[in-house]
Amino acid sequence: MTTTAATASRSPPPSSLAASRKFGTFAITFSLAGPTVYCLTQFLNWPLFTYWPATGRLVWGYEGGRSGEGPNMLWYGWTVTTILVAGGLGLLAMMLPERVNRKIPLAPIWILPILMIPYIVYSLMPWWILAAK
Amino acid sequence: MAGAISTNTFWTLWLLVHLLLAVGLIGALTHQAMAVALPVRRTAGGIVSRFRAVPAAGYATAVCVLWVLTFMVGSYIYTKYRIQIRIPLEAARYYKTGGFFDFKEHVAAMGLMLLPAYWYFWKNAQNPDFDNARKGVTLVLAAMCWFMFIVGHVLNNARGFAS
Repeated sequence: MTTTAATASRSPPPSSLAASRKFGTFAITFSLAGPTVYCLTQFLNWPLFTYWPATGRLVWGYEGGRSGEGPNMLWYGWTVTTILVAGGLGLLAMMLPERVNRKIPLAPIWILPILMIPYIVYSLMPWWILAAK
Repeated sequence: MAGAISTNTFWTLWLLVHLLLAVGLIGALTHQAMAVALPVRRTAGGIVSRFRAVPAAGYATAVCVLWVLTFMVGSYIYTKYRIQIRIPLEAARYYKTGGFFDFKEHVAAMGLMLLPAYWYFWKNAQNPDFDNARKGVTLVLAAMCWFMFIVGHVLNNARGFAS
């Protein structure tokens, strides 16, 4: 049996959601914005909520260290903030004319997460400084 | 679960679920990444050629579902990690291990954001406009998955829930 690379990686024509141009615009914009928005959210420290795992307490927005409550967790809040912002941008993009949406570049979807790595390493500097001591 | 199993066993079981989902995810993504990076011309051949010759488009939905499930279970056990694992790790001066775990959490979140476009590109695999982006996103997701898998594995070796 012989096949080609093309047939090995192709799928049948899309149906329903995958065939929708509007959904495509949403998906592409969401994924394009997501990693950058996540890093910005983390840099600006805009979690939608703060979770305190020792007490199970959930607070809107950011809440810093409190005596006797153990550590706080911001990652959940950053992630939800990012999903909401990237989702909002995706919805906005859906409202743009088709000729504008066609110009959205696709390569940054996978290039931007790679470019974010130096920032992430930098944002974790307290760990690396402690490790170097 | 009180009484039936110990607290450590409970969290270890959830960690195992997280691991099993991650194994499925890494397998699917690696097949797909190999298929797009090194496409085969003929399916006949050795195990490596067969590994690369999978119908890659069929993995897209499974990869998305597995990523989301692995993410959700990981998010659940993360609460326990923050108290029971990270604090003793810091006390034992395992700072690089802790730092790499935080790195992993950021990578997991960014990977989650890529899934809608990834799924859309694969479901429109007959559209040549998406070929390069589909290949790039798939390779990035596979690299992310391998990174997270290795960090999680090393972290569990450093201090698992049953420690």
